[in-house]
Amino acid sequence: MADVLFTLLTIILIVPVSLFLGIIYAFLVRKFSARFQWRVGPVMRMYGDLKPLLGASRILQPLYDILKLMGKQTILPETSRKTLFVASPYLSLAFAVLVVFFIPFPGMPLLSNTPYSMIIASYLIIGSVVFTILGPVASGSPWGVIGARREVELFLVSELGFVVSIFSVAYAEGTLSLYNMASRALNLPMLLLMVSAGILMFLSMLGKLHIKPFDIPEAECEIVAGQYTEYSGKLLGMYFLAKAFMLYGLVALFIAVFLPPFSSSILWLPVYAIAAVLVVLLLSIVQVLNPRYQIDRALPWYMKVIIPLGLLSFIIALVIRLVM
Amino acid sequence: MSSSHIKILKRILEKYSTPMTLKYPSSVDASKKYSQIPEGLRGIPERDKEKCIGCRACFFVCSGRATKIIDIADKRTVQIFLFRCTFCAHCQESCPEEAITMSKKFELTVSTRSDPAAYVDTVLDMLSCKKCGKPYFPKKFVPRVYERLMEKINPRVKETVSADFKKVEGLCTECRRANSFELDTHTRKHLWLEGA
Amino acid sequence: MTKQTDPSLVEWVKREAVPEGLEFKALRENRVSVRVRAEDVEKLTERFVKKFGARMIHATGVDMEQSGFDVVYIFDFSKIKERLVIILNANLDREQPKMPSVAKVTWQACWAEKELKEFLGVDTAGMPDPRHQFLPFEWPNDVESGSKEGFVKAAKNGGGSPSSEYLLPLGVTPQQASATLIPIGPYHPGVIEGQLVRVKVEGEQVVDADIKTGFHHRGINRLIERRGYNKGVFAAERVCGICSAAHGLAYVTTVENLYDAEIPERALYIRTLLVELNRVHSHLLWIGVVADVVGWKTGFMLTWGLRERVMDIIEAITGNRVNYGVWRLGGVSRDVPKELAEKANRTVLGLKEEAAKLLPDVVAHPVLKSRLVDVGPLSYPDAFDGGAVGPVARASNWKIDVRADNPPHAMYDPKKISWEVITEDGCDTYARTLVRVRELFVSMGIVSQCLEYLAKTTGEIRIKQREVEPGSEALGLNEAPRGELQYYIRAGVANLPQCVRIRTPSYRNNALLPHMLLGSALADVPVIMGSLDQCLACTDRVEVVDAKGQTKAMSWDQLVEYGKRVKGVR
Repeated sequence: MADVLFTLLTIILIVPVSLFLGIIYAFLVRKFSARFQWRVGPVMRMYGDLKPLLGASRILQPLYDILKLMGKQTILPETSRKTLFVASPYLSLAFAVLVVFFIPFPGMPLLSNTPYSMIIASYLIIGSVVFTILGPVASGSPWGVIGARREVELFLVSELGFVVSIFSVAYAEGTLSLYNMASRALNLPMLLLMVSAGILMFLSMLGKLHIKPFDIPEAECEIVAGQYTEYSGKLLGMYFLAKAFMLYGLVALFIAVFLPPFSSSILWLPVYAIAAVLVVLLLSIVQVLNPRYQIDRALPWYMKVIIPLGLLSFIIALVIRLVM
Repeated sequence: MSSSHIKILKRILEKYSTPMTLKYPSSVDASKKYSQIPEGLRGIPERDKEKCIGCRACFFVCSGRATKIIDIADKRTVQIFLFRCTFCAHCQESCPEEAITMSKKFELTVSTRSDPAAYVDTVLDMLSCKKCGKPYFPKKFVPRVYERLMEKINPRVKETVSADFKKVEGLCTECRRANSFELDTHTRKHLWLEGA
Repeated sequence: MTKQTDPSLVEWVKREAVPEGLEFKALRENRVSVRVRAEDVEKLTERFVKKFGARMIHATGVDMEQSGFDVVYIFDFSKIKERLVIILNANLDREQPKMPSVAKVTWQACWAEKELKEFLGVDTAGMPDPRHQFLPFEWPNDVESGSKEGFVKAAKNGGGSPSSEYLLPLGVTPQQASATLIPIGPYHPGVIEGQLVRVKVEGEQVVDADIKTGFHHRGINRLIERRGYNKGVFAAERVCGICSAAHGLAYVTTVENLYDAEIPERALYIRTLLVELNRVHSHLLWIGVVADVVGWKTGFMLTWGLRERVMDIIEAITGNRVNYGVWRLGGVSRDVPKELAEKANRTVLGLKEEAAKLLPDVVAHPVLKSRLVDVGPLSYPDAFDGGAVGPVARASNWKIDVRADNPPHAMYDPKKISWEVITEDGCDTYARTLVRVRELFVSMGIVSQCLEYLAKTTGEIRIKQREVEPGSEALGLNEAPRGELQYYIRAGVANLPQCVRIRTPSYRNNALLPHMLLGSALADVPVIMGSLDQCLACTDRVEVVDAKGQTKAMSWDQLVEYGKRVKGVR
């Protein structure tokens, strides 16, 4: 009984915590990108006579951007299918929030204890992405259609890498529960597996989070805003909220599966925070250093990377499983 | 990651600690706020009220038609409308009294068109005609023109011109024209005098 | 400086090039003006282009009120005889201005003839592209169907509905258009200025393309005609923000060609310094823009960071970052004192080191290269026939550069300043990138040499200007960062010009855009547009012929009448 209450409480608590953390990760991506471009970027500690005007810190700036969007007018294009167009952002957000419930946080196992939590989390991620494809297709604008088509191609390959990496770890562990994966001990063969599968998972994350060189569906300079062209106001705000939750979710998933045992008990919280900041730093470095790939060159690149690393991970997992 | 990635990352990290942007408009460090303004910047033109004689040279030369001369009652206003100024410094080059300098101010934002910060106004007093009472020339214009004329004039006609100046002193252009035949420098008389 | 033309050159023109000429006049600096009959122009063009291999610079027209229209065709013969430019003048009747089209012979004249038709109503028979140049396509009028493929007969429905005129050259119906036609512009985050490029796609492949300009009219030709020579410098400078110095130099060159002028040598060095600094900043800007279009914001930020140093030098020397305002007829208005020249030289040398460390890595980035190599090809025959100018032509292995062929009034003498013309033979976007990067370093070398000279010597920088004889004409050429820039001025009465005609390099390069887009992927379209370095503020600088507020729609004849009236007014 106390268990159930505790789980319920943490589920309610995780929503603002994950939103807060997702916003901070987005802010950090912007700040690191700016510093790597010899700029100052958004300001963490406000100075001088701008303090009374703008507050002590702008670290929640991405959240303010989303709130600003909520207050703007929502325009529904005439050529769109209204029901699907309007429902897609909300559904995408719902799936993204549900993902967060299945990924452990230090001190709060949430629903990741259930036996098949890994599979449920993967499917929820797929569900969230599917609604970022269906909505733009329903908008009836050529930019949305092109963006959605590119998203489909990109998503298929990055999902392949994601599945291969996470299933190889599951196979080596012999469990499909994220909490078990997150709270085990490490030994040398597992470390090798972590490295190879971790690299594969990181590269798939680039595709899912639209980090350069794979922000092809949102290519601002070529197809206006790609998938999000016809969205405005509240609906766009929902999509950006979904993005914030996805950012938190994928970073937390990465740390849970590939950097154990930082997500298990609350004593690991400071180390978890540092690990999250390092992952975000790595993402920013990759974003800063690369232009955008074209879609027909991104796919072969991904296949060249997934096949060797995937095979390597599976072989190591097989060896671990057979030997131990 | 190929070698170009590594090389570019190294370049970036070399100058990581000195960003290229300034903390403007915060005045935390006022010297840094304007530190990049060089000496010769052509900013807002400023007119020295003591030196300006109201000769309207800047009005004729202004490239953007920003300078206007407004004569109301007995005041002449020489006005530069900054929304139209092109900061070309033609007025500075053509002013005979060197009254205009291009300052280093570049912050031009105002909220409404009627904000006085968008105008550079110089108000001069005008002389009134002794006969008819209408204002005709700014106060400093006539003595200055007389000075410059006397510096460069042909010495043969200096006396005559000087005497004629005294005769028309204080009269507006209309009233001068009314009695112009009394002047020794009238065209008909002058040709007569010099021997055609 | 503005030396008189050698009479033997006029003899050569009379004998070899234009035996049919009626009147020959020698202008200053090896320009020869020939009056011919309107019917001969096509034959002469064919002879010039095919037999002599000359280049056409531009074709414009002047409204001579009672005497009709004067059409002016300008050809560049500098590869055949040193610095020779032949200007053909033909007179057309005012009521029935007809002449055979030159665009059939060489594509270079295509946009020039569209402009002639738009302003003066000159009816060139056999024009391949009879649509509006600056007005919207759906301006009420009947468009004949042309004989080239890709055009369909316009449906005549009472004034021309937007859809039929809009989709005219690409041969699609409105239903098909919503599936296959992608509009890029007039507002698009990938292109800086407003233009309308319509591409017909199948999947991601472009199968047909069309471009429409005219969104940036400001009427600068007219402004200069009304303000006069002195104030016109500032209007000419503001045609473009990026290549502002090139316009300033071309304008003063042209007006100084209207009278005898011996510009002091120090002024020439200062002019070269400013134009080359302009080129450095423009090319750095362009590299940043290409990086941004490809999606690499970091490349954009890093190169623009270098550009800030250049802008600081320019601000210290001239007093302004963008529109320099130091161009005067007869010299320059500001001198460069010794300390400033030395400090600037140190900054430029430091900047050269930094650029040498950063730019080769930026350009050799593998992902960037994969987006630029083999994209937007333009072979040498296409470039020659289409009339490409500037780095676009030099990347197709065509060695033309105004600074070497037809130098303006600045110091480009190879005996005093050492520099070179850069060509590449890749013919694609990557070659254009390499040409611009290498030109950047050459320009920085020129800047350094000028600053050394200025620090060591003193002298006067401006001479008094003389009066201009009414009725004389002059041509001025300059190498802007984007290519060859041409000003043609005819002097009128009361110290005002009668006509001012500007032809910017982007006018030529943009006409080649549809040809370069065929067969590329959709993602490459902004990259190709960026590689041409379009400066649409330059392209649309000619006079706006706009309907007044009261009358919403004018017929074509009414519009032509209005244009003639406006241009006849002083």
